[in-house]
Amino acid sequence: MPQTLFEKIWDSHVVVESDNSPSIIYIDRHLVHEVTSPQAFEELRLNKRRVRRPDLTIATMDHNVPTSDRSLPIVDQISEVQIKTLEKNCQDFGIQLFDIKSPYQGIVHVIGPQLGITLPGTTIVCGDSHTSTHGAFGALAFGIGTSEVEHVLATQTIRMEKPKPFEIKVVGKRKNPHAITAKDIILSIIRHIGTNGGTGTVIEYRGEAISDLTMEQRMTICNMSIEAGSRAGLVAPDEKTFDYLRGRKFTPKNYDDLVSQWQETLYTDSNASFAKIFTIDVSNIAPQVSWGTNPAMVCDVTESVPFPEEYAKGNEDQRKAAEKALQYMSLKAGTKMTEIEIDRVFIGSCTNSRIEDLIEASKVIKGKNVSSKVRAMVVPGSQMVKKQAEEMGLDKIFKDANFEWRESGCSMCLGMNPGILAPGERCASTSNRNFEGRQGTGGRTHLVSPVMAAAAAIKGHFVDVREMDLN
Amino acid sequence: MKGNAIKYDKDNIDTDVILPGTYLKLHDYDELAKHAMEGLDPDFHSKVKDGDYIVAGRNFGCGSSREHAPIALSYSGIKAVLALSFARIFYRNAVDGAFLLPIEIDEDAYKSISNGDQLEISVEKNTIKNLTKNKDYKMKPFSELIGKIIVAGGLFKYKP
Repeated sequence: MPQTLFEKIWDSHVVVESDNSPSIIYIDRHLVHEVTSPQAFEELRLNKRRVRRPDLTIATMDHNVPTSDRSLPIVDQISEVQIKTLEKNCQDFGIQLFDIKSPYQGIVHVIGPQLGITLPGTTIVCGDSHTSTHGAFGALAFGIGTSEVEHVLATQTIRMEKPKPFEIKVVGKRKNPHAITAKDIILSIIRHIGTNGGTGTVIEYRGEAISDLTMEQRMTICNMSIEAGSRAGLVAPDEKTFDYLRGRKFTPKNYDDLVSQWQETLYTDSNASFAKIFTIDVSNIAPQVSWGTNPAMVCDVTESVPFPEEYAKGNEDQRKAAEKALQYMSLKAGTKMTEIEIDRVFIGSCTNSRIEDLIEASKVIKGKNVSSKVRAMVVPGSQMVKKQAEEMGLDKIFKDANFEWRESGCSMCLGMNPGILAPGERCASTSNRNFEGRQGTGGRTHLVSPVMAAAAAIKGHFVDVREMDLN
Repeated sequence: MKGNAIKYDKDNIDTDVILPGTYLKLHDYDELAKHAMEGLDPDFHSKVKDGDYIVAGRNFGCGSSREHAPIALSYSGIKAVLALSFARIFYRNAVDGAFLLPIEIDEDAYKSISNGDQLEISVEKNTIKNLTKNKDYKMKPFSELIGKIIVAGGLFKYKP
């Protein structure tokens, strides 16, 4: 029977499956960070269990680490306890840890692929919803909670009901690929299918516009699958995938043999069927900006803040939600998006903190200055990204333009470390969530691409980045 | 199982408002509970009573995989969330740790239940009784896996 890529990966990882009982799925890679793991390790200790496969488990610290000067002690003592706890847990259970001083430290979804830990056809879990990022390599990767983290640590398996395959076909050629980015594609998709459009499914992104993307751009797309409700999103591996992973720190020694196997197996059969299909043509999409308080409340930069009635199209719940969102965001319907002034700019997060993101953003700001009304920062996704960027001189471009150049971590994406918005501050952010209070209590987040964020930093308000010279 | 409804007439109640990121450093569950729903309803902690239910719209618990979200609700005394639909990670987290019951209800039940209504839930019969309004609603039955984990009292107690 013809199968989708997701179904092939699923089937090859089934430990136990029968018609009337849920599946047990084998996990190839388990990524661990400081926030969602302490309770899991504590329970292992209480129950006198060990970690079944420490060799398949890799840890780093990203959510809670300060992204300021690393030579200084951590000021927040509660944060320090959480960081020290991960160190102790990794030591006690024999797990490799890339700690705050490691040259490999970084956001878990940035370092996984960079280190060659993420591989096509594998199952990958992490106690973080943006684990879907790794799907860009044709892996089945999804976020889990702390109880499931404990289950994977103890058994290297997970109990799960099989999700349904969802095809998102992305067609058309982007007219200006420097201005219209992967972020704009995924924001457009979520805008159309909604925040629960993918619930219960694994998305496979397909079509020429996906093949056209680099690996890092595909990661941006898969990263935000969860914002559409899908625990996982993936892209079939191709030559770009195989090239990206060749020769990295943990890339397996028999890599070429593996590539041959992957080429034979890791694709969706031509007549396989999907439970759901959505098609989007990206040849004419504009840069996207979120105006509301969830990642589906998005419009073109050329549009105005929508009127709730117009946005709701007769749906009373949607109208109320839009009204409430505008109130929280302190926006008036009908205001041009390009007239919205911002206070902060954040370029970073597991969505957009990779080297290509920084290169593209640096082209926008080169030789210019951040608006005097704006505080802007760049937070590279990993120490490896930071180093590479510094070797290319990007840090200088950013610093010369008055951007803060920070250490790697999740930073201002989630408002748990020192990087937060003050109440009422408005931020152009390359992160993934514009929920109320996400970047700090009372903070207002607009989701945009790195080039849009960079352009907004200079002008002090949103601008259509297509009007700027990006070559 | 009897309790009063705390109703939020809202879709997409995300994990960042259920338990804001700044509290993810806390390990004490009772401390987490003090900040439950803080991002949406700062009075929640003072008004919630043991045995209460949250009633909400679609896609409850969307966003982060933080299990701190159902934990904070559970340690506030919330025994179940009745919603039109749930985000999947929140749903599994609620059940895996036996923190609370994620119960899917239909539009009729959602519209009918008011804030403060006393509800009686029977998981065995898949029914919800509104004692205040003297009405009965159906709840969507749990799938086999979820039902078994619930009966066992969490993922680690479940033996197939």
